[in-house]
Amino acid sequence: MRMRHFRISAMILAILVLSSCLVYAQNEIKIGAVQPITGRFAFAGVNINAGLEDALMIANEEGGINGKKIKYIMEDGQYQLDVAVAAFKRIMSRDNPLIMYGESTGLGKAMSPEIKDRFKILYSSTSFSSELADPKENPYIFVPGPTYADMFGILLKYIAKEKPGAKVAFFYSDTEFGKDPIQAARDMCKTLGLDLVAEEVAQVGSVDVTSQVLDLKRKNPDFVIFQGFVVDPVQTVIKQCRDFGMKTQFMGTFWGASQMVVNNLGPAAEGYMAVNPYMYWWNDDVPMIKKIKAYTAKTYPKVTSRDNSYMQGFMTGLIFVECLKRADKAGELNGPGLAKALQSIKDFDSGGLSAPFIIKNNKFPVARVWKANVEKKILEPVSDWMTVE
Amino acid sequence: MRCGDLKESYLEDEKIFQSLFVKICLATLLVVLVIIPFVAGPYTLYIMNLIGFAIIGAVGLNLLTGFTGQISLGHAAFIGVGGYTTAILVTKLGVPFWFAMPVAGLVSAGMGLIIGIPSLRVKGLYLCIATLAAQFILEFVFVHWESMTRGIRGINVPPPRIGDFVFDTEKSYYFITLFLVIVAVGFARNLVRTKWGRAFVAIRDRDLAAEIIGINLFRYKLAAFALSSFFAGIAGSLWVGFIKVVTPEHFPFSLSIQYLAMVIVGGLGSVLGSIFGAIFMILTPELLNILVSSAKQLFPGLDQFFIPLKDIIFGGLIVSFLVFEPHGLAEIWHRIKNFFLLWPFSY
Repeated sequence: MRMRHFRISAMILAILVLSSCLVYAQNEIKIGAVQPITGRFAFAGVNINAGLEDALMIANEEGGINGKKIKYIMEDGQYQLDVAVAAFKRIMSRDNPLIMYGESTGLGKAMSPEIKDRFKILYSSTSFSSELADPKENPYIFVPGPTYADMFGILLKYIAKEKPGAKVAFFYSDTEFGKDPIQAARDMCKTLGLDLVAEEVAQVGSVDVTSQVLDLKRKNPDFVIFQGFVVDPVQTVIKQCRDFGMKTQFMGTFWGASQMVVNNLGPAAEGYMAVNPYMYWWNDDVPMIKKIKAYTAKTYPKVTSRDNSYMQGFMTGLIFVECLKRADKAGELNGPGLAKALQSIKDFDSGGLSAPFIIKNNKFPVARVWKANVEKKILEPVSDWMTVE
Repeated sequence: MRCGDLKESYLEDEKIFQSLFVKICLATLLVVLVIIPFVAGPYTLYIMNLIGFAIIGAVGLNLLTGFTGQISLGHAAFIGVGGYTTAILVTKLGVPFWFAMPVAGLVSAGMGLIIGIPSLRVKGLYLCIATLAAQFILEFVFVHWESMTRGIRGINVPPPRIGDFVFDTEKSYYFITLFLVIVAVGFARNLVRTKWGRAFVAIRDRDLAAEIIGINLFRYKLAAFALSSFFAGIAGSLWVGFIKVVTPEHFPFSLSIQYLAMVIVGGLGSVLGSIFGAIFMILTPELLNILVSSAKQLFPGLDQFFIPLKDIIFGGLIVSFLVFEPHGLAEIWHRIKNFFLLWPFSY
């Protein structure tokens, strides 16, 4: 009995191992990705992965890259650096793709020397960190939208226009993600003539934010911008401030612009604003959203809605495809060719998914400000596309 | 085929190279380990390097937990101290990596001495909590001592070099790792058969009795903490030189647990066990990853199902090892060896 079990499992193992060694067709363009499918970033990772994959598969359906098909290779990085680096190296040595997608700021930072000197591949990631948009240090890495600092810039510009000289407060988490844009945002407040009255720091997911809320009450800012949180403690802060009768406007950056946040806030979302560089699932008049909806209905009939992190993945996919097409046309389908193609992107039409993209310092610093509609539980635009200098 | 060996004294019992056969086996292993980088790809070598760091860390923890019986939940923090010391010395003071590494070990050892002080008064679960505090305090220091650690942004570290030769690939770094693993394992294996090693074991088995027969608990318990942290510091230093960046997120509490799991799965109180434990804990998730990615090709569209599955399998494997062989992988190895010692005439 034991022996038979052993034989069966050995056979299954052998089949699985062999199937991984299958030789793929040569006329393929490989795009690898290390995605946070499990771990604490999984809520977004699953969406981002779906968006990126769908963008590439739609491109395949439309004829691929001048006839060449794209192959998408994804592995889980668990949002842990050692696991993610291992997955990155595994994909590089096994499949040798032209483009890689990474799961975190940390992975990008750890791999950037090797991406530049050794692998020479186009790279983008889930991160909007400003440290990953530096054409001098690394011409191969780009951010598929504005960096967090740019998002703060856009919000502050919006505030300066709505209420010149307004009192502003920042509420950020004690993480790299939270602190990334703060210095740039402080400088921006000075140039825009805004009064930065408070900076509150809290841990991600913390429940007790009483001292921070009391401080906010004392300083009574007109606007509070959150950075570096996903859900908690944003909800608690807004509710407690409302209990104190404060009229402050609350704002968030990309991860705060998710529909999930509006849903969680419930009635407290009244007046909540966030900055987002992409259109939403419910913006039916946008041609690219129509295309996404049609593809989703065909491929995943059970899926009824996609959050903004899906759009981030999708947009990255569109940029990848555009770079590939340009590089292929120039006859330079390799890393340096792709980097050159990336720099040539001007007024790139994403089918309305975002403003006409223009690359600047390996990022696309354009977004608009959205306001929550509590009844419909969606976000609606309150500004046109804005850029930062 | 040899069928058992006769020993006439306790001294022979404690020999590391018990027979010519063992010597040949180890020599072959060494030759294979030296040849591997010339045939294996960068991914394999990346994993081999990680295993190397884990072995050094796990052997260190085993000296403390397995041999001296003091549980530590702060091992990752000591690895972090080593990593940060190296990074700070190399980037701020321009000290060469080769000098920064032993200093990092010593700084970690010093930290271990301080954290080990409560072990003189508290035991078992209480000590566990005391070392747990160390983990969180040190993690807090990594994040908030910004002038030194650059906070959450971390420090970029240049790779080690000798003259013009830079150790910036998996292959070149592998030789540094291999050399240090051999030194660390050799040192630990020898240590446990000296007076010090015997004192550690005596403390583990019954500290009161140990004190009565004249073992200075203060000295040996702290020595065990310092030694274990020294190993951790070296492992951290190696990790930083390899990955070329250090941030506080590299040394989470879960890493401490992982090291403890390595020591337990491998076999408490066995140097060989630490090696097996480290290999198991690093290699199994990778093998499962490879398995999952092949399964994905057979059953496309089931990613969401397969990827979390590997964590479940991994957890299941650890539990079943502990249930079926509480003495760890080292004991399994021992049994297999004994089987073949007498094979095919097992009378």
